[in-house]
Amino acid sequence: MLVGGGALALAACGGGAQTLRIHHADETGDLIANLYITVLATGRVSLIVNKAEIGQGVSTGYATLAAEELGVPVDHIDVHYADSNEDMRTSSMMQITGGSTSTAEAFVPLRHAAASAREMLIAAAAQQWKVAAKDCIAVNGHVEHGDQKLAFGELTKHAARLEVPAKPRLKSPKEFTLVGKVDRRVDLRGKIDGSAKFGIDVQVPNMVNAFAIHGPTFGAKPIEVDADRAKRRPGVIDVLAFDWGVAIVADKFWQARAAAADVAVTWDKGILQGLDTAKLQTAMRTHDKAGLVGREHGDASSAIEHAEHRVEAIYEAPYLAHATMEPQNATVDVTGDKAEVWAPTQSPTLAQAFVANACGIGFAEVKVHVTLCGGGFGRRAMADVVGQAAQISQRVKRPVKLVWTRESDMTQAWYRPVYAAKAVGGVRDGKITGARMRVLSQSIALSAGDWFGAILSSLPRTLTDMISGAALSIFSSGSFGDPFSTEGIQNTPYRFGNFQLASEPVQTKLPVASWRSVGNSVTGFIMESFVDELAVAAKQDPIALRRTILPADSRAARVLAAVEKLSGWATPPPKGIGRGVARHQAFDTEVAQVAEVELVNNRIRVKKVYCVVDCGIAVNPDVIRAQMEGGIIFGLSAALDQEITLVDGVVQQRNFDTFPLVRMYEAPEIVVEIMPSEAKPTGVGEPGLPPIAPAVANAVFQLTGVRLRRMPLQRAWNERGAS
Amino acid sequence: MKLVVNGKPVEVVVPPETPLLWALREEVGLTGTKYGCGIAQCGACTVHVDGKPKRSCVTSCGDVGELPILTIEGLSTEAELHPVQRAWIEENVPQCGYCQAGQIMTTVMLLKVKPQPTDEDIDAALSANLCRCGTYPRIRKAVHRAAEMLARPVANGDAK
Repeated sequence: MLVGGGALALAACGGGAQTLRIHHADETGDLIANLYITVLATGRVSLIVNKAEIGQGVSTGYATLAAEELGVPVDHIDVHYADSNEDMRTSSMMQITGGSTSTAEAFVPLRHAAASAREMLIAAAAQQWKVAAKDCIAVNGHVEHGDQKLAFGELTKHAARLEVPAKPRLKSPKEFTLVGKVDRRVDLRGKIDGSAKFGIDVQVPNMVNAFAIHGPTFGAKPIEVDADRAKRRPGVIDVLAFDWGVAIVADKFWQARAAAADVAVTWDKGILQGLDTAKLQTAMRTHDKAGLVGREHGDASSAIEHAEHRVEAIYEAPYLAHATMEPQNATVDVTGDKAEVWAPTQSPTLAQAFVANACGIGFAEVKVHVTLCGGGFGRRAMADVVGQAAQISQRVKRPVKLVWTRESDMTQAWYRPVYAAKAVGGVRDGKITGARMRVLSQSIALSAGDWFGAILSSLPRTLTDMISGAALSIFSSGSFGDPFSTEGIQNTPYRFGNFQLASEPVQTKLPVASWRSVGNSVTGFIMESFVDELAVAAKQDPIALRRTILPADSRAARVLAAVEKLSGWATPPPKGIGRGVARHQAFDTEVAQVAEVELVNNRIRVKKVYCVVDCGIAVNPDVIRAQMEGGIIFGLSAALDQEITLVDGVVQQRNFDTFPLVRMYEAPEIVVEIMPSEAKPTGVGEPGLPPIAPAVANAVFQLTGVRLRRMPLQRAWNERGAS
Repeated sequence: MKLVVNGKPVEVVVPPETPLLWALREEVGLTGTKYGCGIAQCGACTVHVDGKPKRSCVTSCGDVGELPILTIEGLSTEAELHPVQRAWIEENVPQCGYCQAGQIMTTVMLLKVKPQPTDEDIDAALSANLCRCGTYPRIRKAVHRAAEMLARPVANGDAK
């Protein structure tokens, strides 16, 4: 807090930075090298991470990059998460954690910040020893020159008086001693002894607790609230009605929760009245319009018409909830025209906007502290719960912690969009002649416009202009709609010769948003299932067929070859085991997987998954392996079982009993191989997910001859032949 | 009423039907035990009551009474971690970490009943605990590793 505050003050000081740096060093002995790095008198290093730790390991990655350039062991680094701070908006002019961007984004700038601190410490030592700085090295928290050695903590006051190097020298990958080698996560201790503080654990002085009652249908508003009995219960402070529901405020959460039984609410019909996903999906399946053409090479229609075999298929995917283990929550203190927030959020910038909009106060008056997040997966970029907590605090004039129930978390969410894609392809003489795809999906960009318009207007002008400018250019540039809908197909490395991609947005009022790997979570399934079907029509091995449409020297081809070898693809699987392959590129990272599947009493069981990833330089190899494992298991839950369905506007799944997650007994063995690389790192939080669903569907086909084209696959298997 | 948490008696003022989870979190101030589902589906709230694993979200304080309660905070001391916790560190198990207190409490109990668990034993015990980040393969390895540590605490050289 103090360290972060010092670094912020430094940023605010601009030209006066050095005066402040010297003053701070003289007072405390600490060197505030820059916004991100402070070298303490104790020799420890404080690192401000401007990303949220949602489990993906960003704290370990950033600590490794900083330690590498500073010349300290990773365990000398103390990670602090940045508050909302305009100087720390590094992605799309926001502070946001998403798009698997964190490591790629920080790889040079964070090392630059650390190298700059290192050079100041080295210069201080060199001056004391009257030697050339170039003859000194920083290692293990010390500057060394021959036999002479000074600890970083002994150099901070002197270093604070030196010029900040404009162009510090960065190590070349060959000089790395930590990057590529450090595996132990830096955030383990608190997560195994119960001391880690998540948003739900926040306590602030004078705080009260709130329980939210949401309507039975999505977005229902309370018409009448009878809370007389509830208000008389011990601890209950007030019962308040809002557009989004009813809040029971009490000293303790358990008191508010217990009082809910005594609150009777009459609800309106909600904004989704009539929305029925069974009807919606039927309409999408039978939709016969061509859509807007976005990508076109050659003449796909003619190529398919003149083919020997024509393959036509419709692939479908349902709405999905994020279901983070930590339910949505936020603690907010609104006082007058200011607000202070403590929240597990992926975007302090958007949290500021949600609160500003909810309370009618200025964006800059909202201060956000970011806590540990019990999962994110995109859900925590949306700060609706923060806005709700702010409105409650504004009414009760006290700090409020609002915790949603699991049922609210699942029924009042922002969902992964529903999809239906029609694919048509032609095969002649064992080769693909052309392919055509039309993707229907609910548009995240349009949904954001519906739900976000007012909230975006709360952002600072420059940010609003930038976002609306980007949105306008997407929709007016001759592009064909929402880039999220078809990402992963638009940029496919496959060369079909003749190819056409069209898309069309489906409109409903159910809010949709990014869900781990966004459009790729479905487009990987569409493309990799379809290519597998083309291989069958072409009487080719699935990997061999893919090789014919991938550039020979491409990353995709190399990763595919690696998974072929790793999985022992050339040797047929044992009887009773089906083997399926899929590959996909998301967020500049290439991943290929082979799934081994069996059927046990009509249950699809994934026994083993081989996974090869090329994500450039591997900063923390074991964290990358963990993200592949996590992406596969997260994706497997969706592939096999999960769906959010609505009947007349009511979300049917309310908890983990009806929205199942893969459990231990069904978690496959996973073997991960990381491709060696000297390229700049790319993301790993999301790209492990897209290949698993098609790999499993392709394996089921190989085992049974039944092609499953609709997720969740287990339901498709149970209902096979029924429609 | 009185609860006995991690070896210490604690006076809490709650109606007996209050779930133990919320009494621990809000009255005793131990927030390592987590709320995940409220219906005994996810295991994030697992604690030990009288030496048995319990879902504290559906266990009322009245039913627990003065039976001994062990939470994640009482599993180890600052100086010495429980072997299960050490195994969790060595296998780099946690990602977001939210479910891990429950996973660890379930594992500690499993190893008491089955000191050398098979994969099937692990499936049977740990399938009660959900992890959204997908740390299951590492949990499985960590359970086996913890079993080894408990069997040969000194030979491993990591007894302390």
